Amino acid sequence: MRNFILFIRRFSNLILFLLLEVICIMLISRTQTVQGDDITSSANILIGNMYKQRNDVAYYFALRRMNDSLLRENTELRKRLTASAETDIIYDSAATVPIAFTDSGKVVKYADYVYRTARVINNSVANVNNYITLNRGTKDGVKKDMAVISANGAVGRIVNTSAHFSTAISVLSKKQQVSAKLKDGTAGYVSWDGKDPTQLVMRDVPTQIKVRKGDTVFTTEFSFFPANIRIGTVYKTTLIKSKNMQVLYLRPAADFRKLQYVYVVENKMSAERRRLEEAAKKDDDK
Amino acid sequence: MTTLIKNIIRFCVILLIQVLILNKVTLQWWAQPGGFPVFIPYLYPLFILLLPFETPVAMLLFAGFLCGLSVDAFMNTAGIHAFATVLIAYFRINVLNALLPKNLSEYAGQTPSVKNMGWLPFIVYVSFLVVLHHAAFFTIELWSVSNIGYLLLKIFASSATSVLLIIAYVLLFTRQAGTGKSQRII
Repeated sequence: MRNFILFIRRFSNLILFLLLEVICIMLISRTQTVQGDDITSSANILIGNMYKQRNDVAYYFALRRMNDSLLRENTELRKRLTASAETDIIYDSAATVPIAFTDSGKVVKYADYVYRTARVINNSVANVNNYITLNRGTKDGVKKDMAVISANGAVGRIVNTSAHFSTAISVLSKKQQVSAKLKDGTAGYVSWDGKDPTQLVMRDVPTQIKVRKGDTVFTTEFSFFPANIRIGTVYKTTLIKSKNMQVLYLRPAADFRKLQYVYVVENKMSAERRRLEEAAKKDDDK
Repeated sequence: MTTLIKNIIRFCVILLIQVLILNKVTLQWWAQPGGFPVFIPYLYPLFILLLPFETPVAMLLFAGFLCGLSVDAFMNTAGIHAFATVLIAYFRINVLNALLPKNLSEYAGQTPSVKNMGWLPFIVYVSFLVVLHHAAFFTIELWSVSNIGYLLLKIFASSATSVLLIIAYVLLFTRQAGTGKSQRII
């Protein structure tokens, strides 16, 4: 027994070291998956407030750029408004459905989106999984798994919320893929290779699909994003002859370095949809 | 007691510099010249490096763990920074023993500095532990060796800037000249 106590005393530092490292490894391994983002998060009141203080200072210097981007978005929206003003058409996520106004009993309800604005108070592009902290939390109605988009394109997904702050994992993350489609409807996945924040990759596109430089890639209705949000534009394609596939390199539509204001999009149908999908999955398992 | 308070203040200052300034550098358009990988210099290992010589190893380990976890909380990287910082906290005493001519117990009440270690040993001490920290951090973060050139480039670039920043911090914020015991501000 005495020897055992001596042994413990001799190696106490090593044991403590290993213990702490094991705790760290447990923390790391739990957050390696898409689900495990709720352990350490910058969406708590202390860190959120600190980031907010800093952003209040930096905010002032970005006013001019923000003004420009708001004007650009307004122009874009006005263009769409004039395009749809003359026809009685409901633009929807799933389909474009013309409605006869005499038929008042018909209810068209595919998806119902609620947009909330939020300010980006912390942002990063240098890590392998990048997170964005927003100044809106559960008190403003932000919940987990809502989509985050900017005026220009898709940004990310909310992973963690507190009362006044929330964190979102951005599209620039290795563990997060986004369901995407080309102009003609070819579906695939857009991912990030973890290196260059101005480059996204869409793999495994069949070679018979003709893709030109400058083609836009949109989100699909399969993901947490609303459909037809821009993800990026193609600037390079490479063929992989052995797999008969091509790889598309995209410039992201949202400028991740300069994110200032974003929209948190709530899909009111998503809870119902998820319940249905999970029920279908359970049936499959049986 | 004053050493404790001094170190707590230093911890806060270093953490704020790291989180509010250094982490934001990559958000500038000039941060990536010619497709060079984006990297963040990490200044916060300096907190572990500048703890007094006689700090017990258990204390060092806990300090490293806390320091790493705080950075993790700011950067949403649960545990990776803590892992790397605990690692250097454990090896600090061995590196110091190997580099210093006298026994560690003879440096009572002092902290590692250019003055009591000399330029070369101090730089070797800083760069060895920083490279160790960065190697552990980036390897775990990337979690693949398929692209080893990229990993090494990132470790090298980040360590080089970190060491430069640490030396600059030491020269600016700690008292190097003067007589008697080395006194430090922050």
